[in-house]
Amino acid sequence: MTGAAERALQVLRDGLDARTAAFLSSCVRCGLCADTCHVFLADGDPGSTPAAKVERIAALFRRHHTLLGRLAPAFVGARDLDDDALQALAAAAFGRCTVCGRCALNCSVGLDPAAIVRFARSVLSAAGMVPRGIRANADLALATGNNMGISREDLLETVAWLEQDLRDTLGDDTAAMPVDRAGARVLYALNPREVKFFPLSLSAAAAIFHVAKESWTLTSTDFDITNYGYFAADADSARAIAGQLAARTEALGVEELVVAECGHGYRALRWEAPEWFGRPWPFRVRSFVEVMAEYLADGRLRLDPAKNTARVTLHDPCNLVRNGGVIEEQRVLLRAAASDFVEMTPNREDNYCCGGGGGMLAASEHAAKRVESGRIKAEQVRATGAKVVASPCHNCIDQLMELNKVYKLGVEVKTLAEIVADALVLPAAPHS
Amino acid sequence: MSFTAIVLLVAIATSAAGFVAMRLRLGALPPSYAPARGSSAAGVAYAFTVAFAPWAKESASRHLPSYLAGIAYHAAVFAALARLVLSLFGPPALSLLDAATAAALAPGLLCGVGLLVKRCVDARLRALSVPEDFFVNGLVDAVLAAGLVASLRPAALPVFQLAGALLIVYAPLGKVRHMLFLFTSRRALGAFFGRRGVRPSARARGVLGV
Repeated sequence: MTGAAERALQVLRDGLDARTAAFLSSCVRCGLCADTCHVFLADGDPGSTPAAKVERIAALFRRHHTLLGRLAPAFVGARDLDDDALQALAAAAFGRCTVCGRCALNCSVGLDPAAIVRFARSVLSAAGMVPRGIRANADLALATGNNMGISREDLLETVAWLEQDLRDTLGDDTAAMPVDRAGARVLYALNPREVKFFPLSLSAAAAIFHVAKESWTLTSTDFDITNYGYFAADADSARAIAGQLAARTEALGVEELVVAECGHGYRALRWEAPEWFGRPWPFRVRSFVEVMAEYLADGRLRLDPAKNTARVTLHDPCNLVRNGGVIEEQRVLLRAAASDFVEMTPNREDNYCCGGGGGMLAASEHAAKRVESGRIKAEQVRATGAKVVASPCHNCIDQLMELNKVYKLGVEVKTLAEIVADALVLPAAPHS
Repeated sequence: MSFTAIVLLVAIATSAAGFVAMRLRLGALPPSYAPARGSSAAGVAYAFTVAFAPWAKESASRHLPSYLAGIAYHAAVFAALARLVLSLFGPPALSLLDAATAAALAPGLLCGVGLLVKRCVDARLRALSVPEDFFVNGLVDAVLAAGLVASLRPAALPVFQLAGALLIVYAPLGKVRHMLFLFTSRRALGAFFGRRGVRPSARARGVLGV
């Protein structure tokens, strides 16, 4: 047995919690989950069904955790953990699954295939078999505080010109994008892609905070909400990455960490990280979507839907919605900010993954499968007749932009903040 | 007590010990530290009630014949197990009890055989299957058939008891273990979606009154 297989075997033997072990012992291979999965719907390959993906790791589990698996492996379909088994597992767990959890919601038995795939990923992570792009992003976040290696100087420079742009746009010289302001009520943490490629979503958030008269700040270091350690199911990296932002949040003494529009970032920080650390955070964690909806409900934002007249549809990010519980807030916002909002079918927690989740966008070796599996989402978008697709997740937005090109959807893809900012009814500015 | 009843009793005791050992080995479900958005208890309640409805999940609504066959099959298994346990206490046969057993076992057996045939002929399902899947389905079908015969001809009760004993002893060893782990899994997943405020859905919350 190679060193990689030995390390993987150790996790397979010792890394199981009761929840995952129960799930692994519950699948009866009925196969009724097949067409709940967008990957299978797109490629029709029996190996892409949730049950088939579960079986890749369940076969190893039976070999090393059950009596019949040890005594009669062929009879129960148990398999030795070797390099071939790991290769097949990697193709299934990283190449054919976005860990979106739609199968979990629909499993007739009531187990969670996504949790099982995540466990499979942890086995692969121990073997050093995480896709290079995911591993590299995790390592860069650990080394520099964000997954794109953006320096403090670069961030400050970007914020400076965005702040000037914000003042010009709002016609208000008091508009500001504070950085490292200790004692602010809210720390707004970012997806590095906003800084590098989508500054409009950052300035949209700033405009919303300004109009809502929020006490807020950015941080110049450790601002990254993404967590590629989570995608890799590498517990140590995931914990360390989340810990960097948590430490910065505590150092600034804010009440609340507001996570920019990023599905997995929200899930990792809001739901998973407290479990990794074995304690709740000493600060509140919310998505910016929730915060915007609260501003609207409290009358701190006024929106004019006539400012967004093109038909808008909404893509529900799996980690924010199905796995995060933020379901209605984005709808409240879009109804207030756009005059022609239409739902996809299915929607909310029943939505299909865009195909870019689970780290797939960073795994270039699986790019073809990612685009192929996105066909289901592309068909959903096309059926709405929308000209704009809103999605409160930068990861989904990247995938939707690619689907837009590949499947010629002819849509514009926007964050929710951008649409809300476009609809803002501005108060009279003190200086102009 | 007859020889076959003693065999059955020993099988039940052995299997129960096996299941208890497995549950103890599994340990407690991990605690949750993130503040709840919904209710774990409501999620668990949903998982054990509304979630069984044919319209609650796509795996059921899109595959209604298979899902309903599975329900009938499992209902028959529970009926057979109950009849086996009762056979340890009472006279070999009570006409009303046997009529009820036959009424549950006959459609269950039909569905069980149907599911076995499906596993054999459906290429996708066959690719997913391991030899044990066919064995277990066949074994359960045999127990149901023996139970059906015993309910019609009480003299066949010993055969039913022996076949039942074999299934009961086997249960903790192979895929039949899901009869224990299903409850843990459903509870864990119900709590997961309940805590996050995803399940029960708005419609199901109305049904459950939570």
